[in-house]
Order: sequence, then structure tokens, then C-alpha cells
Amino acid sequence: MTGAAEAGRVLLRCEHLTVQRAKRTVVSDVSAELRAGEIVALLGPNGAGKSTLLDALAGALPAAEGRIERHGRVAVALQAPDLARRTVFANVVLALAWWGVPRGERAERAREALSAIGAEHLARRRAATLSGGERRRVHLARAIAVRPDVLMLDEPFAGLDAEVRANLLEDALSALRSTTRATLVVVHDRAEAWALADRLLILIDGRLVASGPPRELLEQPPSVVVARFLGFDGSLEDGDELVLTRPPHVALDPAGPLAARVTRAVPLEDGVRLELELDHGRLYTVSPLPAPRPGQTIRVRVDGGARFALASMPARPSSPAASTSTPPPGRGGT
Amino acid sequence: MRLIWEELRAAVPMIFHGNPYLLSIIWFTVQVALVATAIATLIGVPIALTIGLGRFRGRNVLHAMANASVALPPVLVGVVLFLLSEPQAPLGSLHLIGTRRAVFIAQAILALPYVVAFTAAAVQGLPPGLLAQARSLGASRRQLGLLALREARIGVIAAVIAALGTALSEVAAIVIFGGNVYGYNQTLASATLYEVSGAHYADAVAISIVLIGMILVLVCGLGLLQHQSSGIRMRFRSAA
Repeated sequence: MTGAAEAGRVLLRCEHLTVQRAKRTVVSDVSAELRAGEIVALLGPNGAGKSTLLDALAGALPAAEGRIERHGRVAVALQAPDLARRTVFANVVLALAWWGVPRGERAERAREALSAIGAEHLARRRAATLSGGERRRVHLARAIAVRPDVLMLDEPFAGLDAEVRANLLEDALSALRSTTRATLVVVHDRAEAWALADRLLILIDGRLVASGPPRELLEQPPSVVVARFLGFDGSLEDGDELVLTRPPHVALDPAGPLAARVTRAVPLEDGVRLELELDHGRLYTVSPLPAPRPGQTIRVRVDGGARFALASMPARPSSPAASTSTPPPGRGGT
Repeated sequence: MRLIWEELRAAVPMIFHGNPYLLSIIWFTVQVALVATAIATLIGVPIALTIGLGRFRGRNVLHAMANASVALPPVLVGVVLFLLSEPQAPLGSLHLIGTRRAVFIAQAILALPYVVAFTAAAVQGLPPGLLAQARSLGASRRQLGLLALREARIGVIAAVIAALGTALSEVAAIVIFGGNVYGYNQTLASATLYEVSGAHYADAVAISIVLIGMILVLVCGLGLLQHQSSGIRMRFRSAA
């Protein structure tokens, strides 16, 4: 590790990167960079090529086209948190030995890393006795301990229940923050990306379709595909525009400008998720209890959402017959 | 049944009265078993690690060949070694036929496939994530090999037990290649064969009893080591 990488310095850059697995192109024409001090989340649906891109950036897979520049050492914490059959402490020390850390420094650095991720109480436990969440915690400690210039984490919270994930996420948040290191986290869950990342890279079908701060992307998704991926599940035609909405954009309002019929109601922990059919589209929202029932006609208003010109759509979504009496949804940001 | 009982009664004093012939065979058998197993382990473990950890084309073919070679008939090994060591053959200049070295070589060759096949299988059965993680954190080949051996130690010890058992009890190859020379290069197994051929059944029974005892001691010793490696000791400790 260089140890002196100044914040903002580019530590990893790929340009027009194409990666193949078994002669099949999995990642196409991706250009991105990672800077010291930032945490970037690589987000995408299953099969989008996230792990393949990570492998290529780490040097485990060759680039079929394009180039990758690495300034410093890259460490990857793979998805499977497999540990050696020793104590937790010995596992972290072993990782430091693989990394080439001098013997005299290993114990201290192992202790620091375990403490940073809230796993110091596990130090003397055998790996075989750890729960799934504890294994993930130790796996993270191992990656942090080596102090790489670029740290890549492949779905570090996969397979954990909500409570364990929330706890680990909280501890990881502070442990991963470093002014000298760039961190790339592959995540499947959007909530993890919002919690961790300064910047998102969204990969769909092997292509980088969006890049930017989470809040910015959520307020102004660059395309319909990205919006859909980010949870904009409602759609409404407004003249020559398509308005995509997330549940918080749709409010039940007796004085609202839009008439909607409840077509489905799915109970949630804190309310009911409603599917609403309108003359020009279909919206989704979450209503507190008591909620309207299926078949009921209600009034709603749309606050915000993402707008796209219908002309730019590859195929217009089929919509119910247009009704000129329906007022357009409200414009504006989230 | 009476005959067996009589032979056993005659055999027991031979064992406990320190028969010099028997003692020399025991000592030679121990040497052969340990040296042949050590040679097979030294050669076999690196081959097994190459097969188990390597990422090259033909790795599965190599592993299949290693598995198949476990079934190598000892008679065939003996015949091939004999033919290769005849005066005009490639190994003729080494003058191996009928020597003690021939016995060590034959038993090591027979033990080798067990070390290779069982160790490679044990290494291939390790969680792939652990080895991949070690590679991604920069582990050297040596570190990877040591990690794999340590993690797969139960399988590796099983391989050594199988090799040791072979080196102790296989007889055909050493009889053909070594010649089974009385009091010179006989192991307990080949000496049993020799005594049976000469109708000295009490001697054969005595030697067999010692052979079985030795197999039990050595293999059980390694078996205990294997159980300790699998964590039984740790569970006892944590239960205390």
C-alpha cells in the first residue's frame, strides 16, 4: 500500500473495457474511475456482469478490449466468506501473511481491523463456530486489515437477515471510510448502496447505464431503464411525456387531480401497497391503515417523478384510452 | 480348527522369545513401510497439489489417471520393474533385481497413487472461496499449497494411511522384483508367503500376527491423528 494516496487521486481507471467469459461478452464498453477517499457502489440486476467487471478490475480476468490502469494494490473480498479452519484472529493474520505484511506487524493490524468492524470479541473463536453474519464480519475485517489502495467487495452483505445486515452495514460504514483508499462495493440491494456509497455505477446487461451520486440518480434517472431499476415502478402518460414514479411520489388526496381505481392491495408491515389503475397508466403507492380496498375509486396526486419524452421510447407502453378530462400530474423534483 | 489352534500355540512363543529372523523382518518391514510412504508422500503431495490447485487444461484427465492408478495391479508393477531392470534394459545398470533397494522402490511406486489420488481429491473438495480469496490477496504458490494441505489435512492423512497400508502389506511386486530372499530383503508380508510356500505354517502365522499388529498400531496411530485434526479434541475441550 502506498499509504500516501491523497484524497481525490485516481487509483483505478478503466476505459472502454470489454470482458468475456467463455468467449461470451459479459461486460461491454465500460469506462469508469475510482478515486481515493470515495466509496462507489456497483449496482445491477442478477446477471448484469457486476462480478465479472469486479474480477476484471481486480486483474483476475483479462480485458478483451479497452484498458485498465491501477495505481496501487487492489484487494478483493470475494462473495463467499470462506474462512480457514483456525481462529478468527489467525484467519486475519493469515490474510496479512498472504498480502506480504511483515510478521511483526500482523498481530497489531489484525486486532485493529477486527476492532474497526466490531469483531474483536470474535478473535479467539474458531471459524467453524461462527454464524453467517459473523463470518461476513470477519471476511470484511480480513479485507480491511490488508489496507489496500483499492478495496473491492463482492456483495459483502449477501445472505444475511435484515437485522444482521443492518448491524453489519452500520459498522462497515465507518470501517470502510478512508481518505486514502478507494472502495468499490458490488451490491444487489439498493438500500445497501444508499447507505454506503458516495457514487453509484449502475450496470445493466453488461453496460454501464448510469453513474453519479445516489440522490442525484434517484432525482433524475438518466433513462427509463435506470429509473425502472431504481424502483420507479409506476408510469403515467402526460401528453407527449412518460412520467415514472416511485411509491413516495404518489399521494392519496381527496382533492387530488387524478382519479384512480384500486386494482390490488398488498398488506405490508406498516400499511398497504396499492396498485392503482388510471386512464393513462398504472401507479403504485403505500397507504397507511385503514387503506382503500380493491375496486374502490379514489383521488390521487403525483408529486415529482421522472419525466421522459415518449418519442424517445423504443416502444410505447400500451395504455388505456386517453381521457382529456384527466388533469396532468404535477411536475417537479422528488 | 484344531490345526489353526496348534499353529497359533506354536507361533506365540516365536513372537515373544525374540526370534532373530522375525526381528530382522520386522525391522526391515518398518523401514520399507516408512521410507516407501515418505518417498510416495514427498513425490505425491506436490503432484496432488498441482492437480488439486492447478488451473490448466487436462487437470481432470490427470486426476482421473491418478484415480485409475490406485487400481494398478501389484503383479504388473513387479513385472514391469523387473523387465526394466534386466541387464539389457534401461535400468539394468542399476542392478536392482533381488536387492533391498528393489523392495523400497516397488513399495514406493505402489503407495504413490494413493497419496496422489486421495490428496488431490481432498484438496479439490476444499471450499473454492477460501483458495480464491487467498489468491486474490496475493498468496504465493507455496502459501496456497500450505493452506490447501492444512485445510485438507484429514484427507491428506487418509492418503498417508492408505499408502502406509499398501507399503506394509503388498507382496506381489516385491516378490517379483526383489526376489523375496530369505533373511535379506523380506518384509513381513513376503516372508509370510515364503513360509506358507515351505509349509512352515506356525512361522507364517507368527509373522502374520506381527504384521496385523503392526498395521493396527501404525494405522490406528495415524487414524487418531486424523480425528484430532477433524476437531474432536476441540469439541472435548469446549464441552469441558
